[in-house]
Order: sequence, then C-alpha cells, then structure tokens
Amino acid sequence: MEQNEELLVPKNTEKKKRRRKYWETQRLNLKRNKSILWFIVPAALFTIVFSYIPMFGVLFAFKDPAFDSAMRRGADIIGALKYSNWTLETFKSIFNDSFWLSLKNSVLINLIKLVFVFPLSILIAIQLSEMKNQKLSKLILIIICIPNFLSWTVVIKAWTSFFDPDIGFLGKLLSKATNGEIISYYEASFKPLFVFYSAWKGAGWGSILYYAAIMSIDKSYYESATIEGANKIQKAFYLTIPAIGGTIALMLVMMFSGFTGVGLEQLKLMLDPTNYIESQQTLDYYIYELSIGQGAGVSYVQAAALGVFNGLVGLLLLLGGNALTTKTLKRGLW
Amino acid sequence: MNKTIDQPNITKRRLFKKNPNKIKETLSDRIIHAVSVSLLIFFVILIVFPLLNYFSLAFNNYAFNDKIILWPAKLDLAPIKYVFSANSKDFWRSFLNSVIITLIVTFVSNLVEAMAAYPLSKKNCPFRSGILMFFIITMLFSAGVVPIYLLMRSFNLLNTIWSIILISISNVTNLLFFKTFFENVPSEIQEAAIIDGASPLQMFFRIIVPMALPVFGSCCFFTIVGMWNGYGAALIFINSEATEAMPLAYYLYISLTNGQAATMYDDFLRNYLPNIQAASMLISIIPILIIYPYVIKYIKSGATLGSVKG
Repeated sequence: MEQNEELLVPKNTEKKKRRRKYWETQRLNLKRNKSILWFIVPAALFTIVFSYIPMFGVLFAFKDPAFDSAMRRGADIIGALKYSNWTLETFKSIFNDSFWLSLKNSVLINLIKLVFVFPLSILIAIQLSEMKNQKLSKLILIIICIPNFLSWTVVIKAWTSFFDPDIGFLGKLLSKATNGEIISYYEASFKPLFVFYSAWKGAGWGSILYYAAIMSIDKSYYESATIEGANKIQKAFYLTIPAIGGTIALMLVMMFSGFTGVGLEQLKLMLDPTNYIESQQTLDYYIYELSIGQGAGVSYVQAAALGVFNGLVGLLLLLGGNALTTKTLKRGLW
Repeated sequence: MNKTIDQPNITKRRLFKKNPNKIKETLSDRIIHAVSVSLLIFFVILIVFPLLNYFSLAFNNYAFNDKIILWPAKLDLAPIKYVFSANSKDFWRSFLNSVIITLIVTFVSNLVEAMAAYPLSKKNCPFRSGILMFFIITMLFSAGVVPIYLLMRSFNLLNTIWSIILISISNVTNLLFFKTFFENVPSEIQEAAIIDGASPLQMFFRIIVPMALPVFGSCCFFTIVGMWNGYGAALIFINSEATEAMPLAYYLYISLTNGQAATMYDDFLRNYLPNIQAASMLISIIPILIIYPYVIKYIKSGATLGSVKG
C-alpha cells in the first residue's frame, strides 16, 4: 500500500504537468497558426447544420402527441416544441409488438448475412490470391465488382426479371420443373433472397480489402509452410486468416454497428405493397413508415424515440464490438 | 580412394533431382485448387448471366421476350428509341437532376473536406484532436430520420434536389482519407513554399492539391458512384409525386412501381413495358460504365499497393 501511494504522488504531478504543457502548446499553436483554422470553417458549418443541429431532435422523443398534431398542421419546430408537453410516455409506447417483430427481422437478416455473406468475401479473396494466373484473377476481380456499381433498382429489377416465369431464364426453368405452376418464391423465402441479393451486389467488392491485405503478406511464410507440409486449407486457416485478422476485425465491428438496419433502398424495392408479409417488416422500414409514410400511423414522436434507440444501440454495438475485437484479436478501430 | 571421389557426385545428383524448394503439389491441394477456380468461375457466371439476360430485353422485340438467353432473340431498337423520344421527358428530367446533384456534391464535398483535412494533418494545428473528435462523433451517432426530415421541412427544401445535395456534402470518411494522405506529404516541400512566401491558401491550392490528385480521384469516384446510384436521401425528402426533383435511380424505382398503371391506354407501352424498362435501366448505368475503367485501375493499384507494403 505504502509503495503504491509513493508511486501515485509523482504520477499525479506528472499528469498535471503534462496537462499544463498541453494547454501551453495549444495556446502557442493558436497564436501562431490561427489563420489555418479558417480552412475548417466550411466543413464545420455543414457538419453543425446537418449533423449537430439534428441531434437536438432527440428532444422530440420526450414530447407528447400534441407535438405530432402541431407538426401536421404545419407549425414550425420551435412552436410545436412550445405547444407540447414533456413526457416519458413515448418510450413506453414504442416497445410494442410491431417493434419487436421488426427488430427480430432486422437482427435475423443481419445474422444470416454474418454467417453466409461475411465469410464469402474472405473466401473469394483467398481463392483469388491462390490463383496462379494473375491476369485471370484480376479479370475475375473486375467482373465480380461490377454489381456493386449498379444501383439497387437495376439489381432487383434484373433479378426479378430473371426469376420471371414468362421471360426470365431461371423463372422458365423453375416453372418447367414444377409443370407450369407459378411458384411464389417471394413469400416463402424473403429473408434468404434478401441476403442473396445483397451478397450478389456486395460480396465481390467486399473481397477487395481482404485481397489487398492478403497480397501484403510476406510470401516467405507460405514457402516455409509448404516445406513444413501444410496443405492449402491449413495455410488458409493458420496463416492467411490470422494475418488479415486486423482487416476482418475492422469489418466485423463495422458490421456490428449496423446490426439493426438492413438497407432501406433494397427493402423498399423488394416490398410488395399489395401483399404484405410479416418478414418484410424491419426496423429501418418501420421507422421510415412512422416518420414519412403516407398512412395514418405517422408519428414523429415515436419515430424520433425509435431513432434515438437505434442510434444508441448502434453506438453501443460499435463500442462493444470494438472492445470485443481489441480483447480477442488485439485489434480494433482505434 | 573411390569413395572420396564418389561422394560429392552423389550429393550433387540428389540436389538436382530433389530440390527442397520445389515441393510437388499434393493431390488434395490440386483438388482444392480446381474446386476454388471452378467456384470463382461459377460466381462470374452468376454475375454475368442475369445481367446479360436482363439487358438483352432492351434490344429485343416484345414477342420474342421469352426466347432470350444471353443475347437479344430478335433485334428491335424500338425500346431504346422510345427512351430517347419525347415520351420519356420525365426520365431525362431525372437524368439531368442526377447529373446536377452528382456534379455539385462531388465538387463541393471533396473541396470542403480536403480543406478541413489540411490543417488537421498538421501536428501544430491548435485543438487538433478536439476538432477531429467533433467530426468523428457525427459518424458514430445520428439522431435518425425524423429530425433531419423536419429540419429540411423548416428550410422549405422538401421535394427539391437541394435537400439531397446539402445532406450529402458532409463526408467524414473522405475527410479521414485526405488527412492520412496529407500527413504523408513531405514537410520539406511545405517549408520551402513558406520560405518562398506562400500563404496557407496558396500552399493548399498550389502545392497540396496538385500532389493529392490521386486521392482526389478516388474520393471523387466514390462520391460519384454513391450519388448516382443511391437514393436513400431521396426516399426521405422527395415525395413520390414530385417527379421534377427526382434523381434518376429514384425515378426508376418509382416508375417500376407505377409503370403498370401508365400502360392502360397504350398498346405499344403495354407490349414493350419490360423492354422499355430494361432500356432505361441500361441508359442509367452508362455514366458508371464510362468511369468503370477507373475502378479497374483502382483495383490493380490497390492490389499491388498491398504487396509493396509487405
């Protein structure tokens, strides 16, 4: 104990000293390099107006439904804020059945993505790096990156047309296999199809980062592993994957932070407004419908509360995922 | 005597026959290699086949739509002609909107972010870490759709392209890209410029920007692709009736859902609807196809960049 206290005293003064030194350098820097700060002003203005001012929208979540009716009548935000009362009721009312359904669907879709799509990019990168013909592997890389640069509208329309029993190639095959019976592949397998489309669009482009990481591994490791008698699978598992662990951890954390969202653009395209099925309901779609939807269920207060929930969960998942990867893989975002 | 002469010969022969650096691939390795190559080729087919099958519709006669496999079954340019005719005014209107949005956002966003990144890349920038945190927080937390929607509403910018432009300008990822690049610009060059009497503004535009052109290239490229293809902001800010303010991808999405209704009184449109849709989709991806060679360059340089590092 005594020893500890002895150690603590100089540490504390050192901290203070360092802090004083920090402020001293900042003051000097400010004095000498004041003009350079003007460069930041335009970006800071955009950030304040379109990122920081909306953060005050968190306040809407603590308002009663009078805020909604005032906004719908066309009041301005300040007026509506004055008009309505503060309450915590909204946070009780948002956790209803359709919320849990949409949360469940979002998390399920992301879990399927995590299990199937996330490793797929790594697999593609490893396969590409193992190819002997460099020109062919570059060509394959260029082709499998194409879908990432098409808009979701094109991707979904091309695939629905491909599945079409009248004009699409696959659709014709499927309808022949079932003797002309029209199959509703859509309703039975909304989630797998959703994940398949996002894999088709993004897996190739996602592999680029891993490919570059693999290319930077020292080739002599592979040579010595070959001499030791490792086969390709062993080399992939014990050499390549640990070597690109940092990149994998980074992508994993990024994926975790978006675990409650599934991508509104893709979802809206795959939705069939005339044929509602439960598995379509995901969290970002639910919030979208609550805030901008055409229906009567529009509620800014609830949508704002859900937005706060979503943002906080995303932040927590990011920090938690980062802590997890720093602990297990010794790599993190910062 | 004989033994001492023979021995080096034996070792020499062994060395040439069995080079330890060249171990023959085992059978299992060759099988794995074959499987992985065929898997990759399968992926390529999986990507190319649906696209060719779909875009063939754009050049096809409607009566032969079911005959298409990889190329048009019966060549017919009517769908393409229709998209270029006066009937597709809305399409070209939204095409123009997309061009305007993409150009403005790409120029302003990258300029503004690069300017902000320049002081942040300097060690002696006052409150450097604090300002950096100020930008990074916006990446970590956002308050959601409603506040930004209501903000745009109070600015009277709903159903205009300006809402999309303004919300897209702030881009912290690009800021961090620029910052890392600027940090690696040799300080000797900057010192020389200061001695020659360059002001910070001159330094930025005359020295830093020309040196950072490759980074500007890739940042601009990703902004262009994102703005051309994305319509997440349009979904929020643009009403489905406000055709005059739609970006192209959003217009195509809306026209897919409303397409059926327009064909009620028009035989030509009813027959050719899938073909016309395919033709407009094809035209919408032309700008991306034009800049795609840049991607190829990026992929190649990215792949080799990694190998240089190691």
